Amino acid sequence: MPNWQELVRQLLSGLALDIAERDEIHAELAAHLEESYEAFCAEGLPQREAVERTLVQVADWQDLQRKILIARRRKQPMQKRVHQLWIPGVLTMMLSTIFLMALQKLGVQPRLVGNGSNGILFYAPWLASLPFFGALGAYLSVRSGGLLGTGLLASVFPAFALTAVFLLMFPIGTAIERVIGIPVDFGTVATALLLDGFDWILIPGVALLAGGFLVQFLFNRWSWSKTGRLAA
Amino acid sequence: MIGTGIKRGTAELAVLSILEGGPMHGYEMARRIEQETKGALRFTLAALYPMLYRMEQHGWIRGTWETSSNGRRKRCYRLTPAGRKKLSPLRREWAELFRALQRLTKVANA
Repeated sequence: MPNWQELVRQLLSGLALDIAERDEIHAELAAHLEESYEAFCAEGLPQREAVERTLVQVADWQDLQRKILIARRRKQPMQKRVHQLWIPGVLTMMLSTIFLMALQKLGVQPRLVGNGSNGILFYAPWLASLPFFGALGAYLSVRSGGLLGTGLLASVFPAFALTAVFLLMFPIGTAIERVIGIPVDFGTVATALLLDGFDWILIPGVALLAGGFLVQFLFNRWSWSKTGRLAA
Repeated sequence: MIGTGIKRGTAELAVLSILEGGPMHGYEMARRIEQETKGALRFTLAALYPMLYRMEQHGWIRGTWETSSNGRRKRCYRLTPAGRKKLSPLRREWAELFRALQRLTKVANA
């Protein structure tokens, strides 16, 4: 007997839906095929013919995949985005910021690596906490049905938000220049941004992403075993 | 044998009507519809599931995972209050259409 679960998973591998939703569809269709196959076998058909008769039900798997996607994507996309990206992302940002503020209140100082103005600040306890916050963001996103990319984006959301704030300094600088008439040295600003970007965006971003990847890895393992149980 | 176009139009009515009798999973639904229409309506997997998912999105039916007596997990669909509400005007519309066709074509039992 063919492994119907695996067969459906392969034939509908391009079903661009949330992991949980996609696994459910795979399990449901595989169960249908399995029942059809068993019914044909019970009618006395040889195994090979039973498989052929079962598979005849789907003439074009690509077309079926497209129809399922159209049917399933009618959910309100905005509502999904809020639950899968914005809420987990903002929560990750808030918690990581609150933790940083708490560390500063407790008098934990960052370590300066390198010399003078070219040195890089390492806030070791804060950086160590970021994979947990990143993991939390990814977990909340995946739990709401977010795909791999959305989960990772939610985990690294604070770094993106800070990048946006940093980049806003250029238009703000231009506006200040025009309104007040004081020239802004964009070269100095850019250098400062690059250095600060390394301390406050790149390294924390990598730490957050590490947590996000860990959750995705664990969730994928859990999802595979769950689908296996459904098909069993 | 009923033509494809009419079949497509009656598909939703068939699913809603069969689910009025109680919850059932996709395969059972297809089998029961085929039996009760004496083979005039046949739902293949490719035709059935996109329609079920669409109807679920409309809120007419709701699918939940249940464990059958042989221990297998199956997604059972049941009619929602919205689906029940949708069924009676749909029945009326189709009855009117059949009556109209009967008058027009003079075919008995159209």
